[in-house]
Amino acid sequence: MTAALDAVQGRTLASGPVRRWGLGAGLILALAATALVTALSLSVGTNQLPLSTVWHGLVSPDDSFASTVIASRVPRTLLGLLVGAGLAVAGTLMQGITRNPLADPGLLGVNAGASAAIVAGTVVFGSLGQRAIFVAVPGAFLAAVVVYAIGSGRSGPTPVRLVLSGAAITAVLMAGIQAVTLTNPEVFETYRFWVVGSLAGRPSEIVDMIWPVVVVGLVAALLLGRPLNTLALGDETARALGGNAGRTRLLGALVATVLAGACTAAVGPIAFVGLAVPHIVRTITGSDYRWLVAYCIALGPVLLLGADVVGRIVARPGELMVGVVTAFIGAPFLYVAVRRSGSGL
Amino acid sequence: MSGRKDASPAIAEAAVATPPAPRPDDPGATDHLRVASLVLPWNRRAVIVIAVACVAVIASVVAALTLGKLGVALPDLLSVLSGEGSKTQHWVVFNNRLPRGLVAVGAGAALGISGAIFQSVTRNPLGSPDIIGLNGGAAAGAAAVTLVWPGLLPAPVGALLGGGIAITLVLLGAGRGFHAPHRMVVIGIGVGAMALAFVQFAVTRTRREQAQEMAAWLNGSLSARNWDHVWTIFVALAVFGTAALLLSRGLQLVEMGDEAALALGVRTQRVRLAAVAVGVVLAAAAVVVCGPIAFVALVAPQLARRMTRSAGPGMVAAGVFGALIMTVADLVAQYQPWSATLPVGVLTAGIGGVYLAALLTHEWRRGTL
Repeated sequence: MTAALDAVQGRTLASGPVRRWGLGAGLILALAATALVTALSLSVGTNQLPLSTVWHGLVSPDDSFASTVIASRVPRTLLGLLVGAGLAVAGTLMQGITRNPLADPGLLGVNAGASAAIVAGTVVFGSLGQRAIFVAVPGAFLAAVVVYAIGSGRSGPTPVRLVLSGAAITAVLMAGIQAVTLTNPEVFETYRFWVVGSLAGRPSEIVDMIWPVVVVGLVAALLLGRPLNTLALGDETARALGGNAGRTRLLGALVATVLAGACTAAVGPIAFVGLAVPHIVRTITGSDYRWLVAYCIALGPVLLLGADVVGRIVARPGELMVGVVTAFIGAPFLYVAVRRSGSGL
Repeated sequence: MSGRKDASPAIAEAAVATPPAPRPDDPGATDHLRVASLVLPWNRRAVIVIAVACVAVIASVVAALTLGKLGVALPDLLSVLSGEGSKTQHWVVFNNRLPRGLVAVGAGAALGISGAIFQSVTRNPLGSPDIIGLNGGAAAGAAAVTLVWPGLLPAPVGALLGGGIAITLVLLGAGRGFHAPHRMVVIGIGVGAMALAFVQFAVTRTRREQAQEMAAWLNGSLSARNWDHVWTIFVALAVFGTAALLLSRGLQLVEMGDEAALALGVRTQRVRLAAVAVGVVLAAAAVVVCGPIAFVALVAPQLARRMTRSAGPGMVAAGVFGALIMTVADLVAQYQPWSATLPVGVLTAGIGGVYLAALLTHEWRRGTL
């Protein structure tokens, strides 16, 4: 019926040379879109700068006011690029390994696990700074395991079960986070925007902290494309084709939780990017995971940075946290996912 | 539980006047109460359980008045309530603790009844208003008319509109009316997330000092309640709680399935729509007075059903248990040893989340999900 169903049932679309050229050209277009959103992110804000000034400030920075403004927007934009790609790919991987069109690191409690670990770590060790990622990733993995265990029951996971157990675990963890932050005013000030998901006001060393992790995770995800394609054919077929379903799942889960944990450590728990982007991308690429991951790396930042730019425009003179905008843009994709999964729900 | 009094004349009349009880496999549980020309079926265990729960609710409200540094000692309480006592005592009771306790009772009851209605209509414990995004929608509506477009409409109307929009979106999104609770749940999570995003958008427009207070309300908080809140919730409860009671018999029959209910002369679609409207109003009223408190509407009807061991929506039991959960949770939130003030909604969300996880594992062990 649709691309999502294709992925579930293991139908892969013909990939002749013409189609490959088309997808390659499309990828270049997607990268162009990323570049455009990056430029917008550098130019839009309380101080609106024309694109020519942005270009000038980037190639030959001087002491002018415009250059300072641009320099202050660079870390935020880099964060948006990294986190957008990371979350979109994490969502794709989770949808692939659970064969569940509703999978998303935010919905399945992975981001909440990372956040809870960070808040708990802050209470125990004081300000975490760059070490946040070492707490966030184990937290994300633990939450993923618990959600999967509760969502599986006896007869294996179904999309609804996973989403519900994700909602339950998210509720418990977020209640814990709220209890800590609301009763400690200092912690509240630090996490007030982070807990909603925000690119603004994050210290610039955050970029240094996450970029190696995210880049390694994205490359690993690209390498997992072929095993994921095999996995999409079903466990038995995958085994017959020489794949190792268990190993693919474990690796996929590891990469997804590392990406989600790193992104959450950087900008807070942002939901729905990992749900929406793969669903948009599938309408272009079909269910071939090699192309899916590549397109997600290009289009994830478009959604996230685009949402950030929108957040700067709609709430002037203040700005809206990016997590709020992505929830608004991304939540309707649950509707799309439910409709696409047909009678399975 | 004693045996059925087969010889009583009331039961013979009841058998003529009303359709047979939907669960004949529950022998001895139901007696019939006759008030003038009304014949009400009643379940002895349920009545005892409800009575005990009512006593517990009263006890926890009294505890809320007496505990703590400023609490009024139990012997003085009656005289303070009748208008005597010192100025401080008077202030503590009438301006602070009594409104708070009463709002907890009213909001808990409203949420419990609303949960019972939705769980009955969707025939699924997961169809609760907090899970399908109704509470979130009501909060977004209230935030819209108080923060984004202040003065456009009164807050209760905004909450009602928000709740109505949320439930409409969920039903349209699920696409199969109330017959697909799983779809409703998934769509509801999305609608709830959008509503929450809208509320957060509204909160960013407030001043910084207000932000922490708004964050508390967003979790559901009972601090600083006044008599306006008490009146709001009790008027809603009086009108729509009664409506829920009147609808409960029809709902019980609808639960048996559309065909059976139609055969018994129940207009199923009408009963369902009326019940959902009542449920939306009650949930919205609760959200107006204390924020989108999570999971009371999920837990209370379930607890009530288990304790009374009765089939059917059991509005009264659900309401009483909702009130009990809220009052006890608020007591715990106020007097827990770890930190100064904890919004009650944080506590209910934590406990309710654990309960939801337990419910999920239980449901699919039985294979019903």
